[in-house]
Amino acid sequence: MPVATNRQPENVSVPTPSPSTKRPPRPKRKGKNFAQTHSKPLPLETHPLPAFHPSNPISLLRLAYTYLSHLLLAPSSHPIRPYSGYFSTETRSVHVTDPEHARALWEMGFFGKGTLSRSEPSWVERERARLMKDRGGGRKAAEDATKVRREERRMFKLERARVEAERIGRQRLVEEGKLDANDVLDDDEKDSSIEAAETVIEPTQSDALATDHRSPNEALNGIFVDEKTIVNDRTLDESLLQNHDSRTQLLEPKTDATPNTATETAPPSQDDTDLCIQDQEHLQLTLEEAFFLSYGLGVLNIYPSSPPETYFPWSIPEPYTNIELFEFFSQYSHFPPSPTPAVDPDDPFLLNYVAYHHFRSLGWVVRPGVKFGIDYLLYNRGPVFSHAEFAVLILPAYTERYWNTPGGRSRRRVWEQKDWWWLHCVNRVQSQVKKTLVVCYVDVPSPFDVDFDEPFDVGSILRRYKVREFVVRRWLANRMRD
Amino acid sequence: MADADEDVIPQGGASAEETDLSDETQDFRFLATISREDAAVPKRGEKDFEPHATALQSNTLAASRQAMHNALSFQRVHPPKGHNIATYHPETNTSYVYDPKGPHFARMGHVKSARDDPLGNDEFRGQRMWLLPEEVLYLLERGSLDVRWPADDGEDGAMGLTMSLQGAYAMFIGDEEAHAGALTFERYSVFASLKRMGFTVLRAPSWSNPDLPPTRECFARPTTSRYPPWHIGLIDYYRPWLVVLSPSEPRPDREETAKGPLVRSRLYRSYDEIYRRLALIPFHDPAKQSGPIHYDADLDSDSDSEYDPNQSLCITYHVWKPGSQTYKKSAPGPPDFRIAVVNARETTVPTLEQLSHLMDTVPFDPPVESAQLYQKLRHGYKNVILAIVDQGVVSYLRVAEAAFGREKLYERRGKGPAGKRGGRGGRGRGR
Repeated sequence: MPVATNRQPENVSVPTPSPSTKRPPRPKRKGKNFAQTHSKPLPLETHPLPAFHPSNPISLLRLAYTYLSHLLLAPSSHPIRPYSGYFSTETRSVHVTDPEHARALWEMGFFGKGTLSRSEPSWVERERARLMKDRGGGRKAAEDATKVRREERRMFKLERARVEAERIGRQRLVEEGKLDANDVLDDDEKDSSIEAAETVIEPTQSDALATDHRSPNEALNGIFVDEKTIVNDRTLDESLLQNHDSRTQLLEPKTDATPNTATETAPPSQDDTDLCIQDQEHLQLTLEEAFFLSYGLGVLNIYPSSPPETYFPWSIPEPYTNIELFEFFSQYSHFPPSPTPAVDPDDPFLLNYVAYHHFRSLGWVVRPGVKFGIDYLLYNRGPVFSHAEFAVLILPAYTERYWNTPGGRSRRRVWEQKDWWWLHCVNRVQSQVKKTLVVCYVDVPSPFDVDFDEPFDVGSILRRYKVREFVVRRWLANRMRD
Repeated sequence: MADADEDVIPQGGASAEETDLSDETQDFRFLATISREDAAVPKRGEKDFEPHATALQSNTLAASRQAMHNALSFQRVHPPKGHNIATYHPETNTSYVYDPKGPHFARMGHVKSARDDPLGNDEFRGQRMWLLPEEVLYLLERGSLDVRWPADDGEDGAMGLTMSLQGAYAMFIGDEEAHAGALTFERYSVFASLKRMGFTVLRAPSWSNPDLPPTRECFARPTTSRYPPWHIGLIDYYRPWLVVLSPSEPRPDREETAKGPLVRSRLYRSYDEIYRRLALIPFHDPAKQSGPIHYDADLDSDSDSEYDPNQSLCITYHVWKPGSQTYKKSAPGPPDFRIAVVNARETTVPTLEQLSHLMDTVPFDPPVESAQLYQKLRHGYKNVILAIVDQGVVSYLRVAEAAFGREKLYERRGKGPAGKRGGRGGRGRGR
């Protein structure tokens, strides 16, 4: 999950169609303003009319001016130069190698995934942060924040286990008569201090970098110094110290909480210019995402191979048409790719695309969900804003008469229904990660009566599918008694 | 001993916890410790049950154990006043009891009308309460009922022999098919477990007849408009102006859908226009469904018997909450839940036809119009509870018809969740 990574404003120079939509320079602040960066839900521009306030007559003039100027010279929704991607047959995905294009597709609609990152293409930033660390500057990428958080959590657990062990040790000594019971009282006080440490740490779980790291640090530190002499396991002690050091190192640049150190960490943007890191990462689009960008939105041109080193305007190859893409993607959704141009109605690509398009066209941000054992995750607005609430599982439904004839049955790709154990597995995982399972049946039409050697109608094929969703949740009888 | 926990924490390098949780390539060095002789299983988290060898712990444990024993050793008696004797009725595979006492019979058993009573309309008919097989079994199991075999002819007024628990299972479940009954062990498991939790459980009308035609309440009433009448007038009045201000083509033409893109390059006033152009895939709208769906597969199901097993799902039980105010034995009213019992070993995850057929038989229950988006989607337009029984272990799943297509998320943009980060607290559990 992308967290608080400061990004340079110059990276933002997305191919914008008109100068009027150019963003103002972002104010310097810690953490991204996600609402601003991701204000557009799709990589398209809209041109709303300014609002008319009856109390402000001048706003009518603005409205009229904007309206007339749009009449004379209608601005376009699409970027002047379409984004370009390259269909990689080896990975069966579409690569967007231009960093500006990759950035634009990520920011507007959360398409694709950085090949060297978890989701947002942030490899350059992480690399810069890593190199900057030696110079005392640098910033955090999402992955760094995760690292810090995990380290903190680990320290907390070690500390808790240690205090618990100590408490038991004391109790035993008291029972053996070697220790006065009054000492145990002290012990309890320490327990409460641990509780305090816990309550301070918890908020940092929810927001690793935005909150102040100093206070849990100190809280832990205090206990740490206090008790260090009692710890008799030397190796553990050392490992704790090591970890502690590495943690403080990681936390070093994050000092905006204390005013005196905030001035010391100069804005590292000057240093950034020294670091010239070649971006080795590209954006990787799944076939469904690529087809949606090309067929649905028309903002992506997909070329057959990777771009030549130097190319002249006359040597640019023609991008695929959507009809060609439809066929290719269907073929390449099998492994090995199916050799015939004919497209089966229950191709994995088609089933996925139908569901993908359906949810995208309703305004959801749809991202692959293989991590959770499902097909798609549905985000409201995007992954940086909130967790996905719904997890979509696609099941083909063969309700057409054709699929129930003996011939049709043998052509089904999915032979038998899954068993209940499988569904419970999937559902358990979703409730563990607090998501709601949506079983999405895609009603598969009978085979297309289409000559795939000729140009065919993609829309009429897609319209023959039908989706129907069911929300599946565990029903806990005990909790329903009220 | 005190440090035993800490000993097993892998020292240096990546901890076992991190290796497990991270998405990165695993470092298997942590396995090296396991092959050593003194190695222990890596420990995680707190364990309540670990013995500390302190008197405090063992005392607490002993006290808790004693409390349990005290509770269990309490003497339970069957007061003669609450002793109910039922008689088995072999022809119907049910039982009857005269003037039963006890709280159970407020929500169980029924007196049959003169026409239906197998024993005829004698003077005891009003006191004779008939119990269904699952009700007899349940009461017998919990010791509230004494079931007798029918007395031999000739000895008038004499009691028959007591039916054992094994005998009851053999008759009411094992012999049920011979009596054209529909009680299976799966159904009984669900009945008994819900009953034990205090629910009121009744057989649904589709208990033994899964092909009951759906009633009118199963479907949405046809509505003319989603706007109140005055609203329509307002929209009609302003429509010309709206058209002038935002010249929109809501639908892409045939050429565009055939070759794409659906959204062509031109001036758009809002993203709503773009999303409306993207709408392409048909979806099932339960609010517009006015009758059961007949799939083609249903029509020629006789073409191949192997693909049409007895898999049709049907509502088995109607269930009321324990504190239900609406339930009356004479007129139960609409149930709180509808439960379909499914055998986990003999059926699979339902196909769309099966699920659709089941959904056609439950009433239309739309979410509250003003509810939050996620709640509305989770509530769904129709819902049913599947009780999946695997050899007596019951797992309940609530299946609801969601209809995402009815909730246009893009129209809610702006009033959705604010741009706060982290959503539901606690990041790191996957997004």
